[in-house]
Amino acid sequence: MKFLEVRPQAVDRGQVSRKQKIGRLRPSALFPWILDGLAYLYILAGLLVFIMPFGVTLWYSLLTRGKSPKLTLANYRYVFGSFVDSLLLSSKVSAVTVLLNLLIVIPAAYALVCYEFKGKKFILTLLNVPLYSPAIILGIGLILIYHFTYGLYNSFLGLCFGMIVGTFPLMLLPVMVALKDLDTVYEEAALCLGAGPLYTFFKVTLPLMGPGISAGIILNFVIVWNEFLVTLFIAGPDYITAPLKVYNQILWFGYQNTTAALAATLQIISFLALILYFKLFGSRFLKGRFF
Amino acid sequence: MRPGAPNIKRQLVPCLLLLPAVTVTVLFLVLPLFYLVMMSFTEGSSFFFEQRFTLENYRELFSRYQMVLRTTVFLAFASALVDLLLGYPFAYFLQTRFPYKDLARALMVFPLFGGLYLAFGLYYLFLPKGVLSPVLEKLGIPVLALLYSKTSVVLGMAILTFPFMVANIMTALQNIDPILKEAALCLGASRFRIFFRVTLPLTRSGMVAGFLMCFGWNLGAYEIPLFLGSQAEQQVVSIKMYQQALVMSNYGLSAALGMMIMVLSFSVTYLSLRFSKGALA
Repeated sequence: MKFLEVRPQAVDRGQVSRKQKIGRLRPSALFPWILDGLAYLYILAGLLVFIMPFGVTLWYSLLTRGKSPKLTLANYRYVFGSFVDSLLLSSKVSAVTVLLNLLIVIPAAYALVCYEFKGKKFILTLLNVPLYSPAIILGIGLILIYHFTYGLYNSFLGLCFGMIVGTFPLMLLPVMVALKDLDTVYEEAALCLGAGPLYTFFKVTLPLMGPGISAGIILNFVIVWNEFLVTLFIAGPDYITAPLKVYNQILWFGYQNTTAALAATLQIISFLALILYFKLFGSRFLKGRFF
Repeated sequence: MRPGAPNIKRQLVPCLLLLPAVTVTVLFLVLPLFYLVMMSFTEGSSFFFEQRFTLENYRELFSRYQMVLRTTVFLAFASALVDLLLGYPFAYFLQTRFPYKDLARALMVFPLFGGLYLAFGLYYLFLPKGVLSPVLEKLGIPVLALLYSKTSVVLGMAILTFPFMVANIMTALQNIDPILKEAALCLGASRFRIFFRVTLPLTRSGMVAGFLMCFGWNLGAYEIPLFLGSQAEQQVVSIKMYQQALVMSNYGLSAALGMMIMVLSFSVTYLSLRFSKGALA
């Protein structure tokens, strides 16, 4: 049977014809190509479905009202005109929430990663419960306790704390990951050179945790910026954040192009923040978590 | 210090460091949830004045509001099913054949910004004379019946939770040892056989975890049924809760409705965490 074997050298030298090398063209050889094409189409269609709701919002936000709509930027004048209070409030709430989250999360992460103590697993579970409780439950529980016990209903502080409790676990995760990945030699070196523990923490550990902390900040910002359901419950009439403004506008005035402009602006800002996140950190601090 | 005495300082430092986080969690999560449980057993809004304990709320929940519970579970279940059926091929192709994963991931964050913007966008898409209507008409989909129907609500919810399903299944696919596929290939199995006998069974846990996650997430859906549903679809627990608490001031019933969501979604989350095996931290 030896004469049937085709030696590779023989192919290179052109002694064996190309047809002999490939053999008959089987129809099934085409099959992977068709399958690949279908797979591409399927994925592109899926991605189209994801961006279409945003795309159509953007499109309507660029049109004038009336029978024959024309392209215009006038709707965005409303966003930075009559809606600007909501945008400013949203930014303020996001900033305060992120800041307070940092103050809460950094010590907690440090304790959870660097110390051994009893009940650590329980504490970790407790701190992660907000992540798994639906926003509606958080909202209803908070409004009841705000109304009758804390007196925080319709107040800026109440709004911020409602956001904090729902979002600080999301900050905890990247900061803990950053701290775990950090080699202890730097801290040891600082301590050996005579720096105190506090000095070591602020001059060595904290700067080295920087990427994890900024990852947490961006994630947190996006969540708080878009938080709607908890806000709906706990924000009183004086504190209308931007997503709540979108909701109110739809309920009171229907689907207006100006509201579309506000919604598009909010989504663009969130999207840019997330793009920044992926550019800077990839998915290093997510550990399998999507988003 | 005597040897063997508990080192107070060593225990004190982590406790102090954890204090703010634990305080916030207890004050703004554990206590409210405790209030919710207590409130569901008191009549009307009597909890804060003179408490009258009763089981009336739960009786009403399972009689008058049975339909609401059923609608909520049905919508969440249907959307999770749609997610699973459409999400598995999506995750599989994305994992095995699509080179631009970063692009896909960047575009997939849009539904995660929240149901509000999604409902807003889908309203424009489903509008009878909207942007999409000529395409839909060509495809033979009844455009007039699309908005304010079960279909639109289920589709909206499915799009909202689609990324969770894809993430779960992709993690499961990544965790498959390639040696198993190679072994099957060497033993002469065809591609279809490998898929159905090796890949699919090995990603079962990811499918279950994704399904449960989508289901649990959609139990608390508020904006999508409100904006895309008709009267029938608006009979979901979260909308009823909002009405009972903030419009009717009937806190007892609202809390009982919340308890149902809480029990369902915590058990679903627990199960999905068991199944996902750390896929989602």
